[in-house]
Amino acid sequence: MSKKVSFSGFSDMPPVTVSQGSMSFNATGNWRYLRPVYSEKLAPCRNLCPAGTDVPKVLALIAEEKFEEAYHLIWKTNPLPAICGRVCYHPCESSCTRSGIDAGVSVQALERFVSEMCLDLQPDLPSVKNSGKTVAVVGSGPAGLSCAAFLARDGVNVTVFEAEERPGGMLRIGIPSYRLPRNILDRELEKIARLGVAFECSCKVGKDLTFASLRRNYDAVFVATGAHSSRIPPPLRDSRDLVMTGLDFLKATNLSTPPEIGKLVVVVGGGNTAMDAARTAVRLGAQPVVVYRRSREEMPAGDEEVREAEEEGVDFIFLASPTAVQRNSRGLEIEFQEMVLGPPDGSGRRRPIPVSGSSFTRQADTVILAIGEDADLSLLSTYEADPGVFVGGDAQTGSSTVPDAVAAGRQAALAILRYVGVPASESATLSKPANHFSLDALNPDYFAVFPRVEPRHLDVETRLSGFPEIIQTISSLEAVQEAQRCIPCGVCNQCDNCWLYCPEGAISRVNGAYSIDLNYCKGCGICVQECPRGVISLVQEES
Amino acid sequence: MDENLVVPDAELLTPGHLGCQGCGAALAMRYVLKALGEKTIVVLPACCFSIIAGPFPYSALKIPLLHTAFETAAVTASGVRAGLDCQGDSETTVLAWAGDGGTFDIGLQALSGTAERNDNILYICYDNEAYMNTGVQRSSATPWGAWTTTTPHAKRKFKKDIMLIMAAHRIPYAATASVAYPEDLIAKVKTAKKTKGTRFIHLLAPCPPGWKISSEQTIKFARLAVQTRIFPLYEVEDGTRYRFHDISEPASVEEYLKAQGRFKNLSEEDFELIQEQVEERWAYLIGLAAMTGAGNG
Amino acid sequence: MIVTTEETREVITGNHAVSHGARLARAQVISAYPITPQTQVVELLSSFCEDGSLDAKFIQVESEHSAMAALVGASSVGARCFTATSAHGLALMHEMLHWAAGARLPIVMANINRAMGAPWSVWTDQNDSLSQRDTGWMQIYCESNQEVLDTVIQAYKTAERVALPAMLVLDAFVLSHTAEPVEIPSQEAVDDFLPPYEPDLRLSTEDPHSFSGLATPDTYMEFRYGIQKSMERALEEFQRVDDEFYEAFGRRYGLIEQYRTDGAELLLVTSSTITSTARVVIDELRDSGRHVGLLKIRLFRPFPGELLRSLVANAKKLAVIDRNIGFGVGGIFAQEIRAALYNHIQIPVFGFVAGLGGRDVRPSLIREVIEYAETHEEPEDLIWKGVKL
Repeated sequence: MSKKVSFSGFSDMPPVTVSQGSMSFNATGNWRYLRPVYSEKLAPCRNLCPAGTDVPKVLALIAEEKFEEAYHLIWKTNPLPAICGRVCYHPCESSCTRSGIDAGVSVQALERFVSEMCLDLQPDLPSVKNSGKTVAVVGSGPAGLSCAAFLARDGVNVTVFEAEERPGGMLRIGIPSYRLPRNILDRELEKIARLGVAFECSCKVGKDLTFASLRRNYDAVFVATGAHSSRIPPPLRDSRDLVMTGLDFLKATNLSTPPEIGKLVVVVGGGNTAMDAARTAVRLGAQPVVVYRRSREEMPAGDEEVREAEEEGVDFIFLASPTAVQRNSRGLEIEFQEMVLGPPDGSGRRRPIPVSGSSFTRQADTVILAIGEDADLSLLSTYEADPGVFVGGDAQTGSSTVPDAVAAGRQAALAILRYVGVPASESATLSKPANHFSLDALNPDYFAVFPRVEPRHLDVETRLSGFPEIIQTISSLEAVQEAQRCIPCGVCNQCDNCWLYCPEGAISRVNGAYSIDLNYCKGCGICVQECPRGVISLVQEES
Repeated sequence: MDENLVVPDAELLTPGHLGCQGCGAALAMRYVLKALGEKTIVVLPACCFSIIAGPFPYSALKIPLLHTAFETAAVTASGVRAGLDCQGDSETTVLAWAGDGGTFDIGLQALSGTAERNDNILYICYDNEAYMNTGVQRSSATPWGAWTTTTPHAKRKFKKDIMLIMAAHRIPYAATASVAYPEDLIAKVKTAKKTKGTRFIHLLAPCPPGWKISSEQTIKFARLAVQTRIFPLYEVEDGTRYRFHDISEPASVEEYLKAQGRFKNLSEEDFELIQEQVEERWAYLIGLAAMTGAGNG
Repeated sequence: MIVTTEETREVITGNHAVSHGARLARAQVISAYPITPQTQVVELLSSFCEDGSLDAKFIQVESEHSAMAALVGASSVGARCFTATSAHGLALMHEMLHWAAGARLPIVMANINRAMGAPWSVWTDQNDSLSQRDTGWMQIYCESNQEVLDTVIQAYKTAERVALPAMLVLDAFVLSHTAEPVEIPSQEAVDDFLPPYEPDLRLSTEDPHSFSGLATPDTYMEFRYGIQKSMERALEEFQRVDDEFYEAFGRRYGLIEQYRTDGAELLLVTSSTITSTARVVIDELRDSGRHVGLLKIRLFRPFPGELLRSLVANAKKLAVIDRNIGFGVGGIFAQEIRAALYNHIQIPVFGFVAGLGGRDVRPSLIREVIEYAETHEEPEDLIWKGVKL
């Protein structure tokens, strides 16, 4: 700020009316009654990401072609990006603000692209010395892997126990390879192993090893055994031998030899397991029909899954529930009752109500039941009060999603670290902004319609030739272009608008951020209005 | 990136100036001085900026500034130019910076004289569409339908087309610009700076109190004016070669008019009439450009 | 450009004398608008600019108002500036006359005295220039074409010393369009006399400042005080410049010229070309033994009051001929003279108004004026001469 100029009179005044100083002496900040403050907001994608990935920052790095940095940032919350980049239900995309402009950003395709670019790259981890602490992880599904990875990151000795011959849990058992190629799964597992995580496979705790011995030999135990207990609809419980569960069918197909299922396959259920079973059946030469007790709208399976199933020739019967199955001369006969939708139930979906006297039958070679899976925690019956025993993932929540399991694994790791007294290296950068991004704060003038990059899908014929991966990885050019579509909501990307549009010139760039000179800011609010992405807020000035 | 579109860092308008909150004129000056640099002399007739620039013994400009009488911006600048030429200084840009009153009304004669002589100055009219400094009286730049203190219901005369008047002088460069498009504005000022002769820029600079809009909406309306084609962005070289910065799908004028307090007395029929006028003017302009042998740029 | 080293003697009109004066002063920026009876001034200056005998920018503006505005701009960056106008042109400039003086710009202008409309007139009287009395411009009323040329040069030197603009004034047609022999000094001699204009403060990117910005009641008055102080100093400077001019060129005019005033009981007071006619009448009356003399007021602003009082101290009466009228009062020179004397000397002042709108002021009228003053004891404020009732 410059100084005020004053004169005692004519004798010390200039002879003509010529300026002697700068108006910058004039602190116009005292005109202000509202003060702009930079406060980043929580973007909907980041808010809804089960793994808690800082999506806007990851996309910003991709936009700048900093693919490795993007990978390391993803890994801070998710050690399975190549997997989630394929199987996540991506609420980031459905909640994306851009869907109000053109279409949500292809976040999943970008995550997949980055993880594939960095398939040979180990995560960039802080160097910590070995803590000497040991943790047993029971189950090598996404929750167990995630927990193991984050514990290993912070210097804990982890051993993962897996009942099957190879690790991966539901990733290997349940997810068909056209959605998750096994080499990708193996590469992610290798990376985790390289962090120092030991895997004990073909070792079923409770059978090959007692839980008690495990608890004795390790400082803590994380139980992530998943949800493998398939539900059977009560009317069919007596005919258990005539039907196959979706999980058993997938496990057999994925781990060893596909079972004989014949041509006519009826799949009961509307979730992802049902879709995976039906589509696997198609690939085995069957003509499956999916029977679901509600309508298509209520199906818990991802929309894309259902669409692809339809493309591949899967038939659907909605509003029908099985009431009986019996063997007849041609194979199996399954009887259904028609349903209508009543008022919403606890899940928010409309409840199916049987229509009396409306049954119909269907001939089948194989009946596959895929109406949900539950966890079996009998193992833990005597350890409920043990603070050193932790449970997470599907084992805790019942059948859920891969990213939810990854998140649970990370949460468990943080809890275990605290329990065993090892400081977590997870930095404060992961803390999320307190305020949510509001759509009102978006200035749509800055966002022109720009088509979304859609990853290429194999055509149906090629898909059905076996189990090739359907969705292809996007190119780096597409990735950069797509990442540039990100707004990013509530996150400053140094677009300079606030600096540019300030009528006072009171905003300056300081170390990759902005600083408002409150001596001069008059509080007009232009910076707030013209911030395309709602980073700046106005707060009331105290008088 | 086009070098012309880069916004220079240097700030030649100091903070502490006396522009109102959200002042479009202050913003306009900030951009223009960025584009012109230190080798610039500003000539300032009576207008909002006579106040914004600060009273004696201060100045809000880091470059020389000559205050002069209301109707004389252009010709005082001509005089400064002549004086500099005598001293062999052809490098310094002489900028006449006047409001709409000082340009469309009281200063038009002197401006016409300067343009006819093609004196080597840059004249920028920052148009806030009324006599704002004296408390919002109508000028010939006030648009049809706007409230002012001297059109207490709404002005029922159309805005004077200053650009066509200036183009008719066949000056080497004339352009419209808006504070909502600083890169475009700066590029035009840089083009003007490189051109010899009389250069004219008609720059839309909203005035929150005079337009009865809140202070944060300056840019919004400066942008909407362009998006609706109420204030189309274009350039004219030598009075004949037109170049348009067209927008593919113009917004409806209603969006622009309804949200401003100064148009609050307008009816739906008025909106329609203004919409028709805007479309007619646009067609006329395009037709004129085609007739004088220019294309879209 | 040719730098003349020899003085030449040519028969030229008053208007051309103005042009030569501006040329010799090396005006750098000229801006003017044509108006009868000033046109030859700008015509000749245009030729000078075109043939290279004057290295100046001539801005051919669309009005007198713009002419002065252009010079305000040019003078602010330190250029020596010139314009010429008359009557309505001067009236149109009025706003900018204030601006030029307030901005302390030493612009020099020639005003060809022409009566103001309505009704239209193109002939001489002084109401146009006297209407600009309070704008802060110096005013010098000239009697001959030689004086016109010399006064342009003197005006620059004085104006630049005191940082105030100056207006030299000459009668329409009587001087403007009448040719007389004029000594035209050499460029070399004028260059020696009048150094280039080098203001201490100028509008420049080298030392950026704001000029003429808003002065609040806290500072405005001091700038007005400064103008008055400079006007007071200009009285001495103008005398000094006249003396220096005499040394350089052998001609001098004074601020007030005394003509045959020794022992005069009645002093006739005139300005401009009426003076020349008055000289003939004074000669005639003096030769016939009458105790009359003549004072020619050359410098009207600043008004040389103290000098006037010393020159009239021994006279018994003054008779002032005004070729102007301050409506509601009377002749303007007479008012100024009475005001200058009132607090100091008790002396009757007869105020005559004559020659408005270019009407001839002949020796007979001047004789009547003198006769009237001689034969009346009680002074009268306003006596119309030559008006047809």
